[in-house]
Amino acid sequence: MAGGGDPKWQKDAADQNFDYMFKLLIIGNSSVGKTSFLFRYADDSFTSAFVSTVGIDFKVKTVFRHDKRVKLQIWDTAGQERYRTITTAYYRGAMGFILMYDVTNEDSFNSVQDWVTQIKTYSWDNAQVILVGNKCDMEDQRVISFERGRQLADQLGVEFFETSAKENVNVKAVFERLVDIICDKMSESLDADPTLVGGSQKGQRLTDQPQGTPNANCNC
Amino acid sequence: MDFANRNNTANKFVCPSDRQLALRAKLKAGWSSSKTNEPLRPEEQEAIISVIRRNEEIETAERQRVGRLVERVEKIKLHAVERGPNCCRLCGDTFGLLRPQRIICEDCRKSVCTKCSVDINIRYNNSERTREIWLCRICSETREMWKKSGAWFFKGLPNYDMPRSASATPMATPTGGGRAVQSCHGTPTRGARIKKLTIRVNDSSSSSSNASGQSEGEDELDGASSAKGNTSRETAAAVASAAAASRLQRDESFRLRAYGSIRSFIDGGERKLSNSFFFGRQQGQGPGQGQGQGQGQGHLLAGQDYDNVSMSNVSTVAQLRRESSFLRRSSVSSSWSFSDSSGSGNSATQSQQQQCPTSQHPHQQQQQHCRDPLLGWLEIAISYRESFHSLDCTMVRARDLPAMDAAGLADPYCKLNIITPEAHTKYTRWQRTKTVHKTRNPDFNETLQFVGVEPEELGNSLLYVALFDDDKYGHDFLGAAKVCLSTVHSTSQYRISVPLGVEDQYSNEAEMSQSWPNGKMLISLCYNTKRRALVVNVKQCINLLAMDNNGSSDPFVKLQLKPDAHKNKKHKTSVKWRTLNPIYNEEFYFEASPHDLNKEMLILTVWDKDLGKSNDFLGSLQLGAQSKGDRLQQWLDCIRLPDHFHEKWHCLAPDNPTH
Repeated sequence: MAGGGDPKWQKDAADQNFDYMFKLLIIGNSSVGKTSFLFRYADDSFTSAFVSTVGIDFKVKTVFRHDKRVKLQIWDTAGQERYRTITTAYYRGAMGFILMYDVTNEDSFNSVQDWVTQIKTYSWDNAQVILVGNKCDMEDQRVISFERGRQLADQLGVEFFETSAKENVNVKAVFERLVDIICDKMSESLDADPTLVGGSQKGQRLTDQPQGTPNANCNC
Repeated sequence: MDFANRNNTANKFVCPSDRQLALRAKLKAGWSSSKTNEPLRPEEQEAIISVIRRNEEIETAERQRVGRLVERVEKIKLHAVERGPNCCRLCGDTFGLLRPQRIICEDCRKSVCTKCSVDINIRYNNSERTREIWLCRICSETREMWKKSGAWFFKGLPNYDMPRSASATPMATPTGGGRAVQSCHGTPTRGARIKKLTIRVNDSSSSSSNASGQSEGEDELDGASSAKGNTSRETAAAVASAAAASRLQRDESFRLRAYGSIRSFIDGGERKLSNSFFFGRQQGQGPGQGQGQGQGQGHLLAGQDYDNVSMSNVSTVAQLRRESSFLRRSSVSSSWSFSDSSGSGNSATQSQQQQCPTSQHPHQQQQQHCRDPLLGWLEIAISYRESFHSLDCTMVRARDLPAMDAAGLADPYCKLNIITPEAHTKYTRWQRTKTVHKTRNPDFNETLQFVGVEPEELGNSLLYVALFDDDKYGHDFLGAAKVCLSTVHSTSQYRISVPLGVEDQYSNEAEMSQSWPNGKMLISLCYNTKRRALVVNVKQCINLLAMDNNGSSDPFVKLQLKPDAHKNKKHKTSVKWRTLNPIYNEEFYFEASPHDLNKEMLILTVWDKDLGKSNDFLGSLQLGAQSKGDRLQQWLDCIRLPDHFHEKWHCLAPDNPTH
């Protein structure tokens, strides 16, 4: 979507002064409010006009968490089926997923399971997921109760939030929680498996400069 | 059409059935015909491409960032000295009781000194409990790099672009342009090792010899930057004199210049040089590796990576450096000798040899060090007697154990247990060998028997052996080994030599299994330079003996310095009534010079105050240069790092040393 010319975006994107970079992906059925959610978080703006996202879009925001600057590259995906080939290509690089449904839309809730399957199929296995029920401000049109959402989240083993991009409810909380989860996972993965670091340099993942690590035979 | 409907309801993310494939083939519309019937419109494509472009910018920046992270770690690695198991891998300081303390890095299992390592708290799997681990600077930086680059997530480093200016690896081709030093200069990452070196240089009592030791390296630099005639002449002169195996006394001006160059060496961040310094040293140890350099040096250096150059350097230069590091260690004054450089002098004649084979050499050496055990070896013979269900473990001998006292000796003994597949110790009582006194290479030759070991247990159990240093005031850990019992057969004896590793939960358990009936004491020591006095803070005692009828004691602590050059009076703490865990926090001053402290012994005795009859003895502790292990460590730390409190727990011994 638009946003490329936004000076704020450019500032954030060009900013190299950060410690970690996390790539997050927002997925869910069409019109559940993914783009609004992202705009609320990144720009603190909201429009009720519906413009379908073309394929993919992303925004960059740097947050300060646990004395560390974390640069978030948040991908907003099109919910529409016709862009699926493009969107799924970006699953692989994502460390965290925000799986969104619309509390006023039964279909979007029923699709959650399908989206989880998509994540399992295309993403890295240690990617973190948060389930989000959006549009919780529209109480009168609500069809999915908080309880149902929470149960599903429990069942999937993920955390759950109900949010409203319009009323700015829980939007920041979702991102902060996801960053926290990833941060925890990060320290855990290295502390639990230090051999990961050591064994790495013989390289499962080859770098484009193999001569970059020749003295790695020392395993340190 | 039925096909389209079927496909919409079916799961699109599994391989279609044969029937579907056949139908698709008939449609001649390609594999994805059922997914999107409508191709992307041009404006849609444009929008997506613009997003992809924006992303590319970010990816490029990210690759460069990761490249910088990698480069940073590589640079630190380059400075690793890797001199062997008894030296810090980063700064090359030798460990010992009067030297930096050895820390084993959690990740690479190599020994580093305290200054080149960091301690971090990490969480046990998912629990809130944390444990402290030590990492060497390389490993901590590597961990940091893994976190920052996202490699932790992708289980490997993502693609990265190395910054173009610096050739970061020792294998980099020597064609790389000009001033590698300058590019180093500009980098923000300035190793702590450099700062450390500054301290060492300034503190060192033999700083001038130290300075001249590094001056050789600086000569290379001079040659590189300006190729001055006199510099190369001087180097050539050095070669000549080395060949003649003569003693060389460097003139004062040279030393001065060298000192200045060290400043620039430190300030300029020409850290590669420090690396080459040590590489060169290693080089010199190899037989026949020496190469003459003489005049060619200046040319060589002008367009080349410093590492390569120094590796192919004159062995006499290496010899010089070795000499200098030796001098520094032994604190001899600044005279120079070439006494043992005659051998290398013979080979130091040709100039400009091939550099590639020699540049490999330090790497081989590095690998060798990786295999060196850190804490020594243990030789074990195990046999299993099926009829008795007994496992006989013979502790044959141990080699190269860490030293524990000032004389460089230890009093080792082994403690054994079997670890079950559930990771518990099988026996509550640990088996123990006798202590072999005053040696680092003990021959135990003692067989310990575990009875009640079922044959099927052998397959998944481990024999655990921990070695400790026997001492009155606490047993210090020396090393531990695990042996898999699955290879043990009832028919023959299984003999194995195992490298000893660092402490873990089982060795702690073994240590705890030793009972200290007299309790423990927490002591804090500090040498106060202003008052020129040793400050002893008696913090607290725990688990003291109960001496009174009420099941408690009234403990107080007497302190005394022996043999006391300053005739300090004896001190004692207040009496804490009716407790076995008294908390004192009382400070006492003993006037003494640091020099005196090297000879003196602090004797602490704990007593039970009895009114009307003589006090009962509860336990004793001695701290001093004659102590061992942790006690000695604390004592030496106190002298070495004055004006800081050094706090440690010690066990109390049952005998009274003042009698």
